[in-house]
Amino acid sequence: MNTTTQTALRPAARRAPAARNPFKGQHRRRMLQADLLTVIAWASLAGAVALWLADGGAAGFSTLAGAFTAVGIVAGLAGMDLVLLMLLLAARLPVIDGAVGHDRALEFHRKLGKPSLYLLLAHGVLLAIGYGLAEGLDPVSEAVALWVLVPDMWLAYVSMALFIAVVVTSLVAVRRRFPYEFWYAVHLLTYAAVLTSLPHQFSVGGLFAEGTWQRWYWLAVCIGTGAALVHYRVLEPIVATVRHQLRVSRVVAVGHGVVSIEMAGRHLDELSGSGGRFFIWRFLAPGQWWHPHPFSLSAEPLQLDADGGGRLRITVRNLGRGSAALARLKPGTRVAVEGPYGLFSTASRSRRHVVMIGAGIGITPIRALLERTPFEPGDATVILRGHSPSGLYLGDEILELCQRRGATLFHLTGRRPRGAQTWLPESEARSGYRLASYVPELADADVYVCGPAGWALNVLDDARRAGVREEQLHYERFDW
Amino acid sequence: MRIRAVVSATLASAGILIAGWQSGTHVADTASATGTTAGPASAGSTGAGTGTTGSAGSGAGSSSKSSSGSAGSSAAASGSTGSSGASSNAGGTFAGDVVQTRFGSVQVQISVTGGKITDVTALQLTDEDRRSVQISNRAAPLLRAEVLKAQSANVQTISGATVTSSAYLTSLQAALDAAHL
Amino acid sequence: MQPTSDLEVPQLKAKTFRCMGTVISLTVPVAPGKGSAAGELALTAAAAAVERLFRELDARFSLYRPESEASRLARGELQLRAASQDFRDRYAEAADWRLLTEGAFTPERPDGVPDLSGLVKGFAIKEAGAALQALGHGDWCLNAGGDVLVAGSPIAGGQASWQAGIVDPQDRRTLIAAFPLGGSTAIRALATSGSAERGDHIWTSGAGVSTFRQVSVAAADIVTADVLATAIVAGGIPMLNRATSGWDVEVLAIRNDGGILATPGFRA
Repeated sequence: MNTTTQTALRPAARRAPAARNPFKGQHRRRMLQADLLTVIAWASLAGAVALWLADGGAAGFSTLAGAFTAVGIVAGLAGMDLVLLMLLLAARLPVIDGAVGHDRALEFHRKLGKPSLYLLLAHGVLLAIGYGLAEGLDPVSEAVALWVLVPDMWLAYVSMALFIAVVVTSLVAVRRRFPYEFWYAVHLLTYAAVLTSLPHQFSVGGLFAEGTWQRWYWLAVCIGTGAALVHYRVLEPIVATVRHQLRVSRVVAVGHGVVSIEMAGRHLDELSGSGGRFFIWRFLAPGQWWHPHPFSLSAEPLQLDADGGGRLRITVRNLGRGSAALARLKPGTRVAVEGPYGLFSTASRSRRHVVMIGAGIGITPIRALLERTPFEPGDATVILRGHSPSGLYLGDEILELCQRRGATLFHLTGRRPRGAQTWLPESEARSGYRLASYVPELADADVYVCGPAGWALNVLDDARRAGVREEQLHYERFDW
Repeated sequence: MRIRAVVSATLASAGILIAGWQSGTHVADTASATGTTAGPASAGSTGAGTGTTGSAGSGAGSSSKSSSGSAGSSAAASGSTGSSGASSNAGGTFAGDVVQTRFGSVQVQISVTGGKITDVTALQLTDEDRRSVQISNRAAPLLRAEVLKAQSANVQTISGATVTSSAYLTSLQAALDAAHL
Repeated sequence: MQPTSDLEVPQLKAKTFRCMGTVISLTVPVAPGKGSAAGELALTAAAAAVERLFRELDARFSLYRPESEASRLARGELQLRAASQDFRDRYAEAADWRLLTEGAFTPERPDGVPDLSGLVKGFAIKEAGAALQALGHGDWCLNAGGDVLVAGSPIAGGQASWQAGIVDPQDRRTLIAAFPLGGSTAIRALATSGSAERGDHIWTSGAGVSTFRQVSVAAADIVTADVLATAIVAGGIPMLNRATSGWDVEVLAIRNDGGILATPGFRA
């Protein structure tokens, strides 16, 4: 009833078969890259244990004390390797972002948190037991002896305490009780935890003693990780900010609780083509500068003059304490930018057909994607979901783009039915419509979804039931 | 694609672990095949270990010694090593398993004379500079009694700080030369 | 080929001569059953060749001979660049060793006069050894003032090593240690330097007394052994560590207080 279409529903006619898929090569390369990264990650874990094996460590199992010590050492090696992997996953490395996307990288990052902590705890406990047995001491006395007698061990204890603090505060249950800012500050302590754990790794025990090749390997991976972090999380953002010199030019309300923030800067052509990818914005105003916001551009940057100066725009909604303050930004405020990140773009295309579905403020990256992603007229479908027609932000611009580029556009407005898990409005759901009803070639299309988490998951379920494979689904979270 | 990743990752990891394992057993074999050395390390002290050279893999020095005429040492099962064989008595020094302690790897060495254990010492395999002593041939403190000896009768030439012609006359070398002239 | 065993007592013959302020002995095994006249002749010829070499080098490098090239250099009558090729070669070699030992071994006295005595004796022994090999001698032991170079075995054609005793600096009539040289091992040279006897030819780097009273170095070649022994006496424990980690040598170092530092090869 509330469905409006600007072009007629096309009959489900058979198209000319075996049309060329221009994204096949790109897709295969990306999958290969992702698999390679997975192999490297697991291989690094095996490698850490192999370092110990190559040192003849397996011989330690001949005695009980030796067995405890051996397992403790392996636990430490594996735990540290996982920690390094976690750091790399959060470092926003282009090679990882381009293969699996920042979202999935953070997902793996979170998954590794508990195992790495358990391994590090096991490392400490088992070594206290093992060394203790070798010296004839109980584990507690041994732990004290380690603190007092062996250089650099007190730092290791500090490191352990910091790791525990970081992981505990990251537990979802704990995270909800504290504001985001507190959790973020504690999370930064991870760097301190890693740094304080390093000295004892190179000065205690024989595996990484001077002269062993294992020492070189471990130095290389630690230094490599540190260098990657510094480069991609510190240097590149600074360089980008200085280069683009972004300042807020105006803040425009585009709906209830939604504003568009326009910014002027230089060399903005370098930021174009990012489609629906997101940037991390820091508005350098008092009280705002330390809060990072992940937002996509809502329009391609506009080139205004020959010097490279131009304008760009983001459209954001009041979602939390941080974003509420955005509406009050003053023109002229400087902006620090990092990015682009994420796979919500042409880089993750794998099929010639493309479906773009956005709800609420999630429409924003859809609009950016729609503006640039390549498709033949008729090969694209755009679905906008909202409570009411006025809730379809940027609706006019999207309509204009669809008309110009030949994409099919649907507006689906209205509340969802009570008690039912569906992404559709009530009447459409009751009429038995599914995603495939709007997109006949769904099984052979890339599906880009952006919107509130619960709704988006329903869309994805619908698509999977219609036979769409995981590699074709692209979901951009924006509320993390 | 995921299956491919899982299979490749499993194969790669298994390969790496096996390579490490193999390399490790090779290290253990080499350690038990070369001769042993004695160390005066302060056994069981809680201070940082004094610098001693370990028996494992000391390589050139000890293996050339064992081939130069002293009773050759032969590889025994991992965990114990052959005797140094400098003396002709039944006995020698044997090294036990490597034990991980809070100060690093320690190998216990026992000395056997006439079938009885006469000494037990702990060899530190990383010295106080955190160097892996297995790969370094550093000079370490030694007692006079532990130095390689030979009776004067077995020696064919004498090395000492440069002997002047006049000092030579009363030197051991002169005695030897006189015997050979 | 005579059967050999460790229990055979070596039959040796030696010839000695004085040169370079010390006594040089050449010891060779007597082949059992060979006519002693022929053996005696061969030994005399060999000793003569060795003596010739030593005297030539002494004539050129001795600072105790006023007419030697070294003395002329010391007096300023000769510039280094006008010196003979042989002299400049030895000087360059000594300069290389200075770099390798980071200054512990130097080709100069503290007053700047070139003093290659630390290098020349070892060089002489090396050249003499080459000459002996050229003359067809496979088993011999050459001792020049306490620096030893051997080839082969003290039992003609055998496998046993030469045994070199090391003097105890606290009692010159006794031995503190022994070391096997030659035979089937690659280590053929043993050089000993000390700060006790005739110590004025070792200049300690930095002021003060040397940490070591006597240092013996066993190596594959005599020049290395000689230079390192001298360098360790001059450079102390840092040089000892540098030597053991940078060269494949065995070291026995005796401190002033009688304590001993030694590499594994010197352990019983």
